[in-house]
This record gives sequence, structure tokens and C-alpha cells, in this order.
Amino acid sequence: MSTHRFCDGFLRRDFLRIGALTGVGLNLPGYLRLAQAGEIAPSSRGRSAIFIRLGGGPSHMDTFDLKPDAPDTHRGEFKPIKTNAPGVEICEHLPKLAQCADKFAIIRGVSHTLGAHRLGTDYLTTGNRPLPSLSFPCYGSVVAHEMSSDPDLPPFVAVPNQDFDATGYLGVEYGPFNTGSTPKPGRAIELRGLSLRDGVTLADVDRRYDMLRKFDTAFGPAAKQDKLLAGLDEFSQRAYAMLRSDRAREAFDLSKESPAITQMFNDSGFAQSCLLASRLVESGVRFVTVNYGGWDTHSDNFTRLKTRNLPELDAGLAGLFNALAAKGLLDSTTVFATGEFGRTPKVNGRAGRDHYPRAMFCLMAGGGVQGGRVVGASDAKGEGPLHDAISPDDVAASFYHSMGINPAKEFHTPSGRPVMIVRYGTVLKDLFA
Amino acid sequence: MRRGVCLRGAVVGLLLLWLQVGFVRADEPLPASERFAKLDSPAPVSFRRDVIPMFARIGCSGRACHGSFQGKGGFRFSLFGYDFKADHEALTAGEKPRVNLADPDESLVIQKPTLMVKHEGKQKIREDSWEYNVLYRWIKDGAKNDADEVGQLDRLEVQPAEILFDSSTEPVQLRVLAHWSDGSVADVTELTRFRTNDESVADVSETGQVTTVGPGDTHIVAFYDNGVTPIPIIRPVSDQFGPKFPKTPAPTQVDRLVLDKLAKLGEIPAPVCTDEQFIRRVSLDLTGTLPPPQRIVDFINDKDTHKRAKLIDELLDTPAYAAYWTTRLCDITGNNPKFMGEKTYRSQISEQWYDWLYKRVAANEPYDKIVEGIVLATSRDPDEDYAQFATNMSATLRKDHPADFADRAYLPHYWTRDNMKKPDEKALSFAYAFLGVRLQCAQCHKHPFDQWSKQDFEQFQAFFENLKYGLDKGDKEIYDDLRDKAVAAADNAKNDKKDQKKEAEKMLTEAVRDGKVIGWKELYIDQPRQLDAKHLAKLKDADKKKYAGRVITPKLLGGEEVVADQYPDPRVALMQWLREPENPYFAAAIVNRIWANHFGAGIVEPADDLNLANPPSNKPLMDYLTKQFVAHGYDLKWLQREILNSDTYQRSWQTNPTNRLDDRNFARASIRRLPAEVVADAIKQACASDQDAASCYSDLDDRAIGPKLNTGYNGGKTGDSYLVSLFGKPARETNCDCERSADPTLLQTIYMRNDQDMLRVIDMKRGFLGSLDPEAEKRALAQRRYEQELKQHERKMARLKELGRLDEAPAAPAPPPRRELNLDPIITQIFLRTVSREPTAQETSDARQSIEAAASPIDGLRDLLWAMLNTKEFITNH
Repeated sequence: MSTHRFCDGFLRRDFLRIGALTGVGLNLPGYLRLAQAGEIAPSSRGRSAIFIRLGGGPSHMDTFDLKPDAPDTHRGEFKPIKTNAPGVEICEHLPKLAQCADKFAIIRGVSHTLGAHRLGTDYLTTGNRPLPSLSFPCYGSVVAHEMSSDPDLPPFVAVPNQDFDATGYLGVEYGPFNTGSTPKPGRAIELRGLSLRDGVTLADVDRRYDMLRKFDTAFGPAAKQDKLLAGLDEFSQRAYAMLRSDRAREAFDLSKESPAITQMFNDSGFAQSCLLASRLVESGVRFVTVNYGGWDTHSDNFTRLKTRNLPELDAGLAGLFNALAAKGLLDSTTVFATGEFGRTPKVNGRAGRDHYPRAMFCLMAGGGVQGGRVVGASDAKGEGPLHDAISPDDVAASFYHSMGINPAKEFHTPSGRPVMIVRYGTVLKDLFA
Repeated sequence: MRRGVCLRGAVVGLLLLWLQVGFVRADEPLPASERFAKLDSPAPVSFRRDVIPMFARIGCSGRACHGSFQGKGGFRFSLFGYDFKADHEALTAGEKPRVNLADPDESLVIQKPTLMVKHEGKQKIREDSWEYNVLYRWIKDGAKNDADEVGQLDRLEVQPAEILFDSSTEPVQLRVLAHWSDGSVADVTELTRFRTNDESVADVSETGQVTTVGPGDTHIVAFYDNGVTPIPIIRPVSDQFGPKFPKTPAPTQVDRLVLDKLAKLGEIPAPVCTDEQFIRRVSLDLTGTLPPPQRIVDFINDKDTHKRAKLIDELLDTPAYAAYWTTRLCDITGNNPKFMGEKTYRSQISEQWYDWLYKRVAANEPYDKIVEGIVLATSRDPDEDYAQFATNMSATLRKDHPADFADRAYLPHYWTRDNMKKPDEKALSFAYAFLGVRLQCAQCHKHPFDQWSKQDFEQFQAFFENLKYGLDKGDKEIYDDLRDKAVAAADNAKNDKKDQKKEAEKMLTEAVRDGKVIGWKELYIDQPRQLDAKHLAKLKDADKKKYAGRVITPKLLGGEEVVADQYPDPRVALMQWLREPENPYFAAAIVNRIWANHFGAGIVEPADDLNLANPPSNKPLMDYLTKQFVAHGYDLKWLQREILNSDTYQRSWQTNPTNRLDDRNFARASIRRLPAEVVADAIKQACASDQDAASCYSDLDDRAIGPKLNTGYNGGKTGDSYLVSLFGKPARETNCDCERSADPTLLQTIYMRNDQDMLRVIDMKRGFLGSLDPEAEKRALAQRRYEQELKQHERKMARLKELGRLDEAPAAPAPPPRRELNLDPIITQIFLRTVSREPTAQETSDARQSIEAAASPIDGLRDLLWAMLNTKEFITNH
């Protein structure tokens, strides 16, 4: 093995060791070590997470940070309503969420400066302001790297993947397993590489694996001694376990869900994605990304929100919180929902709102996060933070904290540069205690 | 290594020599603990020679302590301590100086490490120690910074220069001598940091005592000032070393040099591999291509004793060879459409980049010539004016009879990337691509494992400061004019500015396609205003900050300063330096990368990390190949032949107890996962029709190493780009060979086992399986019809049985004829296509049995093809 040292005197071998000790390590050194050492006990706090990406950038002023006293030019059409959490008000078009506001916390006055979709998304998906010289891993990749998972289940699933879940310096082995599409009610969903399609049956898989065992013998006993060959064999077995696993198959099959849970969701793609996410987490998947776009409302903001986005968000998220609670999973699952930025407080000439990173909101629930709370605040017209700004880095640090992962933990990039999981964030204490 | 000294430096050096010669001419240099044994020892204390190295040695300037960029406890050292000015200021200046000249014992820098006052970093120095004496004396003598006065470190000598733990395994004490440019020699053993490159072989104490831990070889490295000296440590792995090493044929110089090292270690090399193994290995390594079945059979049957050398020659002449190595050069130079400075035509620019390199690799142009075309590039070829350049560049993108960009003299695209705008970015990329040196560390602090200081970096980046991408004075008008003309036909009625711009871009694209000339931004040398020295000095004094970066003299890495006015384009001096036979990096970097491609590890490993503390595992081998490569006129094909014709390359992967654990001395072939593009191509090729498989060395259109798929890659998740990114194709975004990953992952295995794309390739129309049974569809239809008839028949029979009228039973339908295939030759084909060898008799019979048990022969063969593609034998080169 190479014994090259990194910039800071760190031995590459140590790097591999650290990468492996703490995580599921779907890469080779991680896997082998894990196989020897046994799994690492999961932390006491949140042990799974659901990340909901509201692509396009939802308007904070029309959802969770209404300004009824702002001037006409800013206020917008919607009125606030009371929730079941004392003193917390949200938009009138989110009645179901209002009824379970005790289950989630609202973070207001989150602020940054990147007003382009891609940059904002990279920032909010990694907790690190994008750099040209270094690409950061998304939350799911870090979780897959840091936490162990069962051998017959994918640790990280994206519903569906939209190419935003960058694995950055951690490498592709920590990327998500992708569902090919958004789930539909009562149906099983296909997972790239794991679903059996085009008439392939389990019997076919068994027969082929039998054949493979017969012909994959060229290296003889060397296969056990050589690290690469031993690793390939390990992965072959894990792939087989996944392909064969009833648990994995059933986790992706919405028809197997109990009616009591199913009825908490409507038939929209987003609600069904949330239902799937709750099922996956229940089966033991560590991290699920749900993508729900359509928030880029440069024109016709109010009609679009009122008729489509808000009712769907309301039904899906409320369903998710209630389902997780009913399954007893809310304490062990962190739910984190965010867009890439907020939208201009001032309504534009087309009844729309444009990109606005200076003020936005995030939602967080479960994993020790105290529901029914508002943390942070924006100013009177929703144009920026009222007091101290909360940065995306702070929100990210809080998210990792809820997962029992130290956000200040240091990784090493493949070229040896030391870098913390979240470089600048501070945990928002008010979310927890 | 050559160390140039500018004239001024030499004068200062001589002066100092004369000044100091009186009191440093001790016959036997004393160690620091003796020199500073007493508080009133006569030896002078030097900030640079004693104080700073001592802090580094104790660990004060490490990253976890005061070397951290935030400092610790309000006090910061430069990381790894080579920024004498900053460190001196940190100690002596500011509101709270760390030294107290009047009363040295009141100095924080003494009170903290001795724990006279609270120190988070615990006690580092005892009060009765020589370290204390050094600090006390330095402060008492005025706490001066003598960094410039004491001259440069010439050489860091370590005694002994090599340690062999063969007869004895007793620990060995190292002694380190610093040779300064003033001629003085100091024993700096106690001021030196040591480290081992492999603690499973040897360990070294803080005081420089080396102990052997296990068999094998590594280096112990000594660090002092900017000196870095590694010394080899060897402990044989068996008793068959030295004279007892078995006699082994060494047909080439490469073999002789490798065996020399193996003999020292007592490591027995593996035997030379079989012909089947050889043709697969060399074809994959040299051309990224699986050998076609017929070629394998022909090769095995060939009786020519020189057939391996002939095969190498044959492969070197294939388009696949050029495509594979062009791909690697595109990796190293960073050909990624995402970053092209010219946005509208980014994918065409990326393809031009590929084509330009391809043409030269295919023609076997000398490596230094290829690099020269990149290093000295401007957008205009020599003698072109702007208008001609615009005309010629536009011609490369027209639809009809486009001009070939590859015919142009230069490849400016390397420099015009978005991620190459700043001089420091250019310096990092240049050092990575053409020197195999990682300068990143020195951008912010002294390189921890090499000689490079922050100043070295700044001087190196000065080579690139007047290289601009844009429009030179006077050309803006022509540019605008050409663009305006080209879009003159455009209907600019729209008012929306954005739309207008978009529309204009579209018009431009069409105009270029139709053969019109448009303006282009260009890469050019911006001539700086000439300032005389006096003027410059004035400016410098007036505004130190602003001009701090301006007056830096370009200096070659480890070489001389370059006088700027001799070189309007300082890159010319850089290119000359690359070509000097003694250049320690340029030739070595490419030699090492090519070696790494063939052995899974470089002679220096990682292959792009040539640094003093990371010495080659076999220095004579590295030196031989590098020197000969230069002597042969940077002939890449010569280098390939020299490596591939050796027994060393042709060894089997079979291990023996002496070489099993070694991966740095090339005593056997290492088993490696195929590179991403090669996996993609190999899967397709294994499943392709005989005809397509036969043209694999020449038909590049569909190849992942070919021009289309190679450069069109932009990290997407569909089609082939999902596959290649999954298997670690580099995104070409960062300056590191490590971007290309050869690690296996679970997702890769799942792809091979069950991904739709994978299963579809196995079954592709006009592929191998399809060709076995052209009437498969008809047959499937007949089979379905038969199954239906059979069901009907069964129902009828059941009814008749109920009625007790079985005597009326009609005859059962006859199954459609089963297509019988002559299985054995097909089984052989599948083995040749996937693992490039014929099956054993046992394998043939096992396969035949399985296939015969399947629903149809095609189903059985599909399973066999799937199984073979999923073997470790397929996915690795061995």
C-alpha cells in the first residue's frame, strides 16, 4: 500500500483507516475493514434522514415567513393562519401542516448571496459555499460515508435523482441509488440496477449466480489474498443479497404499505415520494433525498402556489410528519426541507417573485429537533435577517448534529487537502434543547 | 538537483563566507545540545539555523498547534516554518510581543513552552535544557532575524546514506549535517524532523534512531530548513538475497535494474506470463482495447520467437493506441467542455483539443514538441494577424469542408479555460501536468515534504502573469465588426435585451456553420509597461501592497531567476528549462505516468507527486528510463517498447511468498481494475458481432476513448456517461491523477450484475447473441403459439376426461423444433471475447451442461455471457 503523506503530514494509510472506521464505507478499504471489525454502533440521536429539495427556490414570504404588515408592494395575497404550536403562524394554504406544526421547526432569516440555481443548490445541498477548486459532497454522501447500514439495503436513495446529489471529494462510491421515476400510488418503484425488469426473475438471478460461481475461479486461492479480488467478491455477495432481498424489494413497493399509513397521503407524486421515503427509512435506509421542483415562480406566483405547489407540499409534508410519528420514527429520523434561496419580497410586474438569497427559510424536524418552534427571524419586509443572519452552513451543521455526526470532523480529499464536513457552520442550539 | 544562484546572491554569499570563515571552521561539527550546553556557550545562536528549526522539531509550527491558519492562543507561526519574516514579526512585533529583550525570562515564548505560565500545548522545553539556552540566548542577543544573512542551505547530508538491515537488526543512529552556502557545516541532527515512509518496515525516533520493524524497503526522510533528504532502508524479505539470489535472465536493461533491487531484497520474481495473458494485458494497457478472438488464436498459434515484440509494434500503430493515450493526455491537461473559455462552441473546442493531441500522438511526434505546442501557445499561429486568425479559426467550424484545427501549430485551449484565469491557477496546472509536481501546499505555506516555499511559488507563478485571454488592443474593432457583419441579417426587431443577445448568438453559430468569418477572443501575451528600476523602486515604496505582486521575478522551480526583458514571453524560458537534459521533472513525469499505467503503480507513487520526500522505489531505473527517453528525442513509442518488451512487464501475477506483499518493486504483475472507458468499451466489444469486434482497434466512433464520447462527457447520468462516471472517469476538474479512480465499488458491481443498460448490451440487436440465431424472433413466436396450443389441448383433455370420452382425444400439438447449436465453439468464443482465453475442458463441459439445461440454447448462452462478463477475470487486467 502506498504510504504517501498528505500536505499536513497525514499518512494516506491513516486516511483510508479513518474513512473506514467510521462509515459504512462502500469503497473497498472501508468495506474490508468493516467486515473485520463489525459494525460501528449507531449514535443515539437521529439515525436516518430525509432531505427534501424544493428545487427552484420557494418564496419565504408566501409559505413559512409571512409579513401581513408589510406594504402592498411586498405582502402578497396570502394570509397567515394559526397553527397548533402557540405563536407560530404559516400560510393559509398549508392547513394540514398547521395542524402538525408541533412536529417541525421553522428556521427563518437564513441568508446567503448566491442567486443562481446551480450555485445556490450546491450550497444548500452540501452546507459549504461552492468553490471552484473543490467540490463538496452532499449530505447523503457524508451520511453514507459516516454511518453503517445493513448489507442488503442501499444506504442512500434519491427519489428520483436529479444530478444534484454530488459526491464531491468523497467519490462516486458514496453516490445515491436512483429511482428511475417518481412513485405512483400502490405500485412498486424501480431502482436502477436493483429492480428486476424485462422478464428477469429471481430464478434467473440465482441461475446466473450459480454459473458465475462456477466460472469465476481463474485466480484460485489468490482471490482471497489480493485486496482487489477479495473486494470484488465481497461486493458480488452484497449485490446478490440486495438483488435477493425481500426486504429491499418490499421497501420499494408502495402496495405493501398499510392502509392506515397510505391514507395519510394523497396521490400526487410528491406525497407518494414522501410515503416512499418513510417506508425506506422504516426498512433501514439511512438517507433519502426527495426532489420536488417547480418553485421558480418568476410570474404568476400566487396562482401557481395556491393551486399546485402549496396544496401538494401541505399534503406531502404533513403526511410525512404524521406517518413518521405513527411509525414511531420521528425521533430517529431527521427531516430537512429547503430550497436554494428565497424569493424577492417585492412582487414584480408579472405577479411573480424573483431569486432572492438574502432571506429564505428551512424546515427541520425529528432527530432531537424541537417541533413547534421558530428559530431566527427576517426583518419587517422579509428583505434580510432581522438580527444575526443564519447561514446555510449553520443549518447544515445543525442537521449533522441531529444525525450524531460532528460537523467539524475533518476529511481528506483524494489529493490530501484537509477539509471539515461543514467548514464554517455553527450548530443552532435553539433547534434542540 | 541544480540550484541556481543569481549574481547578487552569489556576492552576498561570498561576503558572508569571508565574514564567517573565522569562527565556523570547527573540524568536527558539534550537535546542538553540546553547542548550547551552557547558557554562556560561545556558539552564536541563529534565528534561521537554530531557533526556527527547533520550533518545527518540537512541533510548535505544526498544523495542530501554532502552524494552524488561525494560530493558537492568539499566536501564529507559518506552517512548517519557512516564512522567517512572518515568524520573526509574530515573535517580536505587535501589541503583545512574545519576546522581552530586557528580560528574556519574561518572554512569553520562553514562559509558555516551559510551563512557567499556563500553556494549552503542555510543557515542550525544560528550563535546564539546551533548547531553553537557545531561546534565551537568541532573545538576549537582540532577537534578530538573520534569515538573509546566513545564506542558503546547499545540501542536507544524512549519515549513513543507506541502511541495510541484513546481517544485523540493531538500531542505527542517523547524523544530519547541514552544508551552508558559506561553506560552514553544522551538525543539525537535534534540529531535524524525521519521518518514515512506511512504519511497517522501519521506524525512526524523534532523535533520529532508526529501528527495523519488518522486512521490505522504504525511506527515512530528514527535514531541516528547506532541505529534504531521504535515505533508503532495506531489510531482505527472504534469505535468498545478495549472492544467494537465484540466477534470473535479464534480457533488457530495465530487467537488470529491477533485478538488482530484487536481489538486495531477496525477492524472487514471478515467471514470465503465458501468451494468452500477454496479449490481453498488453492490448488493454497499450490500446485500452480487448484483443479480438481471432487475433488471440492467431497469436497463440504463431511460432515466431519475436511475436511479442511484433505484437507491441502492431498495437503501437493502431488508432486505438493514439486514442487511448490521447485520452490520458486530455485527463492531464484538463480537457473538460464545462470549462471552455469559449462558451458557445464548448463541445467543438473540446473535440478540437482531442483531435490536436490525437494527430500528434498518432504521428508519434516527440513528447517535448507536443508539450511545446501547448506551453508556448497563443491563439494566433506564428505570422498570423488578427484577421487571418479569425478567418482560419472560423473555418474550423464551418459545415462544408471544415479546416482541421489539428493542423494549427498551437493548442491554446489549455490556457483559455475558466479555471485557468489566474496566474496561480496556471502555475498549479502547469506544475501538475508537465512536471508531475504538486505545488498546492506552497501556495499558502512552506511545502511540508519538499523544498518549495511560498516565495518559490510566487516566483513560479510570475511566468504566467502576462498571459491574457480576451482581445488585445486594436483588435476589439475588428472583432465587433466581424460579429456585427455576421449577424447583420438577423432580425433585431425584438426589444427584450436578453432575447436579442440569445438571438445574436444563434445567428453567429449559423453564420459560422455557413462559412462566414466571426471574431474570436484570443490568447495573447500582454506586454507590460517597461519601467526602469528606479521608477519601480519608487512605486514599490509608495504602495507596497499594490506592487508586491508585480515585481516578482519569475524563477524556475529549483532553478534560476529569469531576466524578464530577455523574454517577452517568459514561457519561452520555461520551455527551454523543460528541455534541459538535467531537468528533474519534465521527462521523469511522463516516464513515471506511463510506467504507472502499465504496472498499477509508478516508480514514484503517486505518479503525479514527484517530491523529495517521495523518492522513486528504484532510483537507477527511474534515472535510466528518463535519461534514455531524453536521449531518444522524447520518443514515446521508444519508451513504450522499452518498458513492454522487458520480462519485468511480462511477468505473471502469480505470487510467491517472497513477493506476495510487495507492490513497489515490480517482482510480479499487479492485478488492476480496468479503467472506466476501457470497461465501457470492453463490455460492448464482448457482446458485439464478429464484424464489429474485429474492427475494434481502428473504429473509434463508438468508443469511450474516441473523440465523440471522450470529450462530450459532462458528468451526466444517462447512457454511457453514467457507466464511465461510476467506474471513475476523471471529471478533469482538479489537478490530480487521483481524479481517475480504479477502486471497485458496490454500485459498479450492481451495474455489472443487473443494470438495464448492461443487460441491454448483452442482448443488443446485431450483436453476438443475435447473430447466433437470426430467426430468434420467429422462433419465440412459434414457441408462444405452441404454449398456447398446449394449454388449449390440456383443457380439452381435461373436459374429455370428465366426460369419459378420452378415446376421442386429439393428438397433442408438436413442439416447434428446438434449434440445436454446436455449442463448444460458441462457448470458446464467449471465453475469448470476455476473458481472452480458451476455456479448459472442464469449463467447456460445465458450460455445455448448463446451457443444455436452459429453456433454449440462446437463454443458456446469454447466461454464460452474463456470467463471464461478471467474473473478476473480465473486470481486471492481470
